[in-house]
Amino acid sequence: MLNCIDNSGAAIVECVQVMKMKRAAKIGTGSPPLSPPHTHADWCCLIGDRIIVVVQKQRNFGPESGPGASVSTSAANKVRRGDIRHAVVVRTVKKLQRTDGSVVKFDDNACVLINKAGEPIGTRLNGIVGTELRKMKWSKILSLAPMHL
Amino acid sequence: MAPTTHSLRPLSCWKTIFRHTRLQKAATRLLTTQAQPKRTFEESKLIAPRRKSNFKILGPPPALKFKEPIKDVTNAQLAILDPTNARSTLFSKTNPEAAHVGDILLVRLKTGDPFAGVCINIRRRGIDTGILLRNELTRIGVEMWFKIYSPNVEGIEVVQRKEKRARRARLTYMRKPKHDMGSVQNIVLAYQRSRGALRGSGGAGTLGKDELKGGKRKVKGKGKR
Repeated sequence: MLNCIDNSGAAIVECVQVMKMKRAAKIGTGSPPLSPPHTHADWCCLIGDRIIVVVQKQRNFGPESGPGASVSTSAANKVRRGDIRHAVVVRTVKKLQRTDGSVVKFDDNACVLINKAGEPIGTRLNGIVGTELRKMKWSKILSLAPMHL
Repeated sequence: MAPTTHSLRPLSCWKTIFRHTRLQKAATRLLTTQAQPKRTFEESKLIAPRRKSNFKILGPPPALKFKEPIKDVTNAQLAILDPTNARSTLFSKTNPEAAHVGDILLVRLKTGDPFAGVCINIRRRGIDTGILLRNELTRIGVEMWFKIYSPNVEGIEVVQRKEKRARRARLTYMRKPKHDMGSVQNIVLAYQRSRGALRGSGGAGTLGKDELKGGKRKVKGKGKR
């Protein structure tokens, strides 16, 4: 379960699959696939990794709530509860070591929903993201983010 | 009864004889074989000249050049990475003005933005010495480890000291919501503004050694106060 930090309408999503892991299994290499800038541990996703998620909780915008407001909420939300979407991990609680020896760790796990082409579904992000996104060619998400570290 | 009566009584006379022999036997047991003077190597050579061996006999290996090789490597690395000894003094245990756990530190990097946070851990491992800073950015707690001797780290400044010395070496309890300091960005910004005002308008863009010195002076001034 991770937080979704964009305005696509999802608040909490559940990771069901980490991309690129299947291919490794298909190739049948014993070691995890080497993809720059870091090596992936088995079934472990780091900042910049693409995952498949299920939307578990929707974000409700505005003060209105209840059955009357549900129509407007669903109209504002681009995704709904139970949707299966692609996402990119932008923050991890797991410490991530950089090449210069510094280590970064966040207090939560967070992701940004994307479509299959790799463009973000939401238009705004609220929260800091890891700089590893640049190395992983997610500069679009990086430009949306208010801050990166 | 007097001991002299044994001449009259033959059985008791045997007793003394046996005792005497027993003592003698014990004395012989304790005797060692006669020690002969040891021949020296030269003498034994004279007595029985041995055939010359084909094996080359080497002398003992030469004494080690370095007494503590790891220490030497560490010192050599420190001389390269910290020639002015500024970082070592900033984090040395003997320096009373050193940065301690609980202080708010600002790490300026050569690449990227400076990072400030509460120092919650100092990991002293020679050249690998690192500090763990914690801050809250966009309402998300962020922790970063920095190697203090890293060439990527341009300067480390003490923004604010802890009023009371922390009683723990590792302030990991500050991750808990009860003890979390929250964002220290306001304090850091105020510090940066005051420093910029002190230095004047031209000081904002200076880089490298000049800035490092400025940071050091600032640290010392804070300590004196």
